Amino acid sequence: MPSLLGNIFKGWADYSKGNEEGGHHDYEHMYALAIDLDLCTGCNACSTACYAENNLATVGEDKFGARQAMHWLRVERYFDEPDMDKIEETNDTDTQSRGASFLPMMCQHCNAAPCEPVCPVGATYHTVDGLNAQVYNRCIGSRYCANNCPFRVRYFNFYDNADSWPAPMDQQLNPDLSVRSKGVMEKCSMCLQRTRAARDTAKREGRELQDGDIQTACQQTCPTSAIMFGDLLDETSAISKIWKRHQVKLGVYKQDKENPELRGYRIFEELNVDTKVLYLERVREV
Amino acid sequence: MSPDRPKRRPFPWIRSIMAAGVVGALIVLGGQLLEQERVGGESPVTEAGPRVPGAVFPTDTFVGKDVPQPINYSHKLHAGDLGINCLYCHTYARRSKVAGIPPTSKCMGCHTIVATADEKPEIEKLTLMWESGQSPAWNKVNDMPDFVHFSHERHLQKFLFDNPDMNIEDSREVCAMCHGDMVEVGVAKKMRPLTMGFCNTCHENNDGPADCTRCHK
Amino acid sequence: MATKIDRRSFLKVLGLGGAGAALAGCDMPSYATMEEGEEQVFSYLAPEEYVVPGIGVWYASTCLQCSAGCGVHGRVREGRALKLEGNPDTAVNKGKLCQMGQAALQTHYNPDRITSPRIGGKNVTWPEALAFIKEKVTGAPVWMTGSISGHQAVLLDAHLNASGGGAHYAVETINAQAWQAACADTLGDAQPNLHIDKALCVLSFGADVLGTWVSPVKFMADYGKFRAAPRGVLTVVEPAMTLSGANADHWVAARPGSEAAVALGVAQVLASEYSVSTSALPSGAADAIVAMTPERVNALSGVDAKTLSKIAETLMSNSPSLVIGDGSYETAAAAMILNLMLGNVGATITPSAELVPADLGVRSGSTKALADFAADAQAGRIGTAFITGTNPAFTAPGGLKIEDALSKIGLKVAVAMFEDETTQLCDVVLPLASSLEDWGSHVPATGAGRGEIHVQQPLMEKLHPEVLGLGDILLGLTQDAGADGLEDFEDYYGYLRTAISAMIGADFEPEWQAVLQAGKVQAPTADRSFTANGALNFNVPETKAPPAGRLSLITTARQGLFDGRHANLPWLQEAPDQISKAVWDSWAEIHPTTAAGLGLKDGDYVTITSDSGAITTRVFLYKGVHPDAIAVPMGRGHTHYGRYATGIGVNPLNLLDGTADGRTGEFLNTTSVRVQATGDNRHLVRLMDVDQQYGRKLAATISADQLRRNQGGA
Repeated sequence: MPSLLGNIFKGWADYSKGNEEGGHHDYEHMYALAIDLDLCTGCNACSTACYAENNLATVGEDKFGARQAMHWLRVERYFDEPDMDKIEETNDTDTQSRGASFLPMMCQHCNAAPCEPVCPVGATYHTVDGLNAQVYNRCIGSRYCANNCPFRVRYFNFYDNADSWPAPMDQQLNPDLSVRSKGVMEKCSMCLQRTRAARDTAKREGRELQDGDIQTACQQTCPTSAIMFGDLLDETSAISKIWKRHQVKLGVYKQDKENPELRGYRIFEELNVDTKVLYLERVREV
Repeated sequence: MSPDRPKRRPFPWIRSIMAAGVVGALIVLGGQLLEQERVGGESPVTEAGPRVPGAVFPTDTFVGKDVPQPINYSHKLHAGDLGINCLYCHTYARRSKVAGIPPTSKCMGCHTIVATADEKPEIEKLTLMWESGQSPAWNKVNDMPDFVHFSHERHLQKFLFDNPDMNIEDSREVCAMCHGDMVEVGVAKKMRPLTMGFCNTCHENNDGPADCTRCHK
Repeated sequence: MATKIDRRSFLKVLGLGGAGAALAGCDMPSYATMEEGEEQVFSYLAPEEYVVPGIGVWYASTCLQCSAGCGVHGRVREGRALKLEGNPDTAVNKGKLCQMGQAALQTHYNPDRITSPRIGGKNVTWPEALAFIKEKVTGAPVWMTGSISGHQAVLLDAHLNASGGGAHYAVETINAQAWQAACADTLGDAQPNLHIDKALCVLSFGADVLGTWVSPVKFMADYGKFRAAPRGVLTVVEPAMTLSGANADHWVAARPGSEAAVALGVAQVLASEYSVSTSALPSGAADAIVAMTPERVNALSGVDAKTLSKIAETLMSNSPSLVIGDGSYETAAAAMILNLMLGNVGATITPSAELVPADLGVRSGSTKALADFAADAQAGRIGTAFITGTNPAFTAPGGLKIEDALSKIGLKVAVAMFEDETTQLCDVVLPLASSLEDWGSHVPATGAGRGEIHVQQPLMEKLHPEVLGLGDILLGLTQDAGADGLEDFEDYYGYLRTAISAMIGADFEPEWQAVLQAGKVQAPTADRSFTANGALNFNVPETKAPPAGRLSLITTARQGLFDGRHANLPWLQEAPDQISKAVWDSWAEIHPTTAAGLGLKDGDYVTITSDSGAITTRVFLYKGVHPDAIAVPMGRGHTHYGRYATGIGVNPLNLLDGTADGRTGEFLNTTSVRVQATGDNRHLVRLMDVDQQYGRKLAATISADQLRRNQGGA
């Protein structure tokens, strides 16, 4: 009996404490990303590295066209730059006078993820490391979570993808994580298997995890080092320094920066999902 | 407008809702109480007493199949009669996820000198494999589904290496938590259910992590 | 109704049935089972001490997916290579790797690999294949390869020398020959060091420096520093947008072939409006600049005077700059002229060091070599040809008639990992080991500037027991041909280890292990300086607007499928093209105005016909193409290349007629074509069908002024 009421009160206390200062005080880590769009060349190395690391299936042209591809990390390409057009209308109708804008998009690991509360079986939840985790063998395939995701970064296995890996290609599969079967939802996990391995290594060496112990596959391969990954709760980490430098805080749906011209922003912040990927605006010489 | 009919009693809406609410509350609260009894009280796994100091020892059992293996190895002889430490052969347990079947070189380390190929038919089989470069194809007995991550190293750290009251010589007590007393069997036999419930109960009683992603990959 | 099923018993039945189904024999796939005896474990026999099951071992090696030669670290678990990352210790790529390098795993594990020697399409044994070769070889054999360097190149030369002095044709469709020729002519150094990271302005005329030019990972890493504070400006002038163009602050569309005119036009603006001196230029240059008035530039390229001024202004206000150019000798030479005028030589362009063991240096591939090969074959000068690392039947311009040339060769031996268009035409096919299974040494494409030679070692045992490494094949052939000094070597590993031990001056195991762990070995280098300019003799082509009904076809190269060699890798087929975001098929990029004139809308099929052939593909409309151009990316259109590439897309290289650049002999990758709609339309499958953000803040951009105001907000 005490546990029921106790749980309700504790839950409320955690929730309201969590809302203060955008803080998430009971988390052990708060893994986040920062992507500098000015450095991103759109080369797609990150996406292919993710395929290699995470046992992603290739689906072929027809299924890709039916939006059934499994690219956990996709690099979007836009040609319009509305803020630049206010300064100098150089993107006139006839010629392309600037390059394109590239946007690597993956699961934003929202702290107030809209996909988490709607899972009928609780297969997706927020870990103590701040990641939005997907437990593959609990998923029953209702696809409600993908429906709720405003970023459209959840991918459903409509097919059994065994023929994506004809022998001996199946020998390349990474044993540190599942090969998902039909009927299971999947998405970017910020290379959780690497986090697990790094934690084991740190434990073996009798020390705490340090900044740089964990590198996501996309971050490690990016030739321009546009992607940064780390623990926001570690004040010495590069990632928390860059979030601080661009005055972007967690837990709010509208940033109140002292200098609103700083480049850091979050996508769809106004939806109040509290994403953990910081994007740095691309820069153009006029 | 209609002719006289006995007037029906109007459905007692408000009373029904209140009654349903009371019944619902009773179900929820009753459930809480029952659950309390199961978890808060004496745990069924404490009955066997401490074999690993500081740990609650699991007592679930399982009657495993007799799985034939390419070499009819005897744990009873090596671990039992000869008293060889588990970690001597299953050395990877202290530094990896898997305990590992020992490489054939480990067996040959002794068996080129004692109980050699001339003396024992199973060793003769093994020696032939060794000389022809063939790996024995062991049939996995304690198997986990591919979506489960289990790290022997972390469990040994907790119960054996970082456990101040535990000696390395007694490592078989730690191994027996999940593998049973291997000194009783020939080749491996599954002696614990190794289901998620089994793992979870031990975690609950020994302060193990409850986060899904710690074990599900 | 007979029996009324009452709810209680129905539920009881369901419950029992359900439980029964769960207990009675789980029909679970093997990956989910917990049943004893279902899965197997193969224990090791005698593993190395550092091999622990469950923990990956990392080995250093070299990536061979293009000729850049980046160092890699491969993660190997239980004897299988699982993942590749860049080697943090190699200066070329500093721990980074591009998507082609990541996909090297699929090259290695590809189900379509050749696993046995073949004669006439039938599997044979190695002794049979070698006996066949020995019997049928006529005259001095020649080798056709891609770019090649290191000890393999030394053995190749040894084989050719020992077997009659045949020629070596190093063929690469995507190359920097024009740039190298221009640098050799003006500086006396064909591959000077380019310091993008030190420049504040980079201007590229048709050189896809971030995508496919020379060493993209290195240049991308340098580009990262280029954009760091103080931020550099990138301007790209090209006929169709490449990856470099897609990242440009200023993008300028120039008519295909007219980039040189634009460069000279910029030089004229520098001379006339900014008084930059032209007196120290090679003779011929100053006159060419004077002749290139803005009106003439506009007529030749479509670029107006305002754009020329802007480019010049950007160069002058952001110093030091770096100008690069490729695609034709004229373009590269004009780019070098700009560098000389702007004083970049010595600042962002510095002399490369010469590798002292010069025989290890890079034999840079070219398309001229392919033209020479075809000419020699047609003239009957080639009796036997060994072909590896290149697919001329796919990449040769249609006008070269390469199939006919190959048919004139008596014995053709292919050394390949996959059956492709060229191996189909060969008599013998020898199975080649992949880059993850082989030994080698490689000089990076940017030259071993600091003497760093990359070492390649196998990451795992051969997947297919019958394959052999290139070094082993070369060694065997060379020993057979009776070359001196190689008798002692059993295999290429022995040869390589002896040679590298000699380089480091130590023949012991720890030193060798240190080389393998680093993935590189230091070779001595000699500094050199630039020599004085020679004369530049170039003619700017008269590029005019194509006649009515015709467009200029450009074959564009993309990092990914490259020149077609990676079309058999599903990861790269499914990786959306960086610009169009199309997957698994070809397309033709065309400007919306041009399309409207031809009555075309997105997804319409067109037949593109030149004098050398025709292809039919869908159009993709966007503004990043010059209105006179139609750009078809090369890489797809294979007729024989395994299950992932055969029958997919079209090959624009066949439409080229083989017209060559005067100075370098390189094929020009533009030709005049007719474009006609076929009437079909089918949606081109892309990652995204939109290219606008519709008012949402997704990929936002700010001006560089705003950045500078908040510097520190880098």
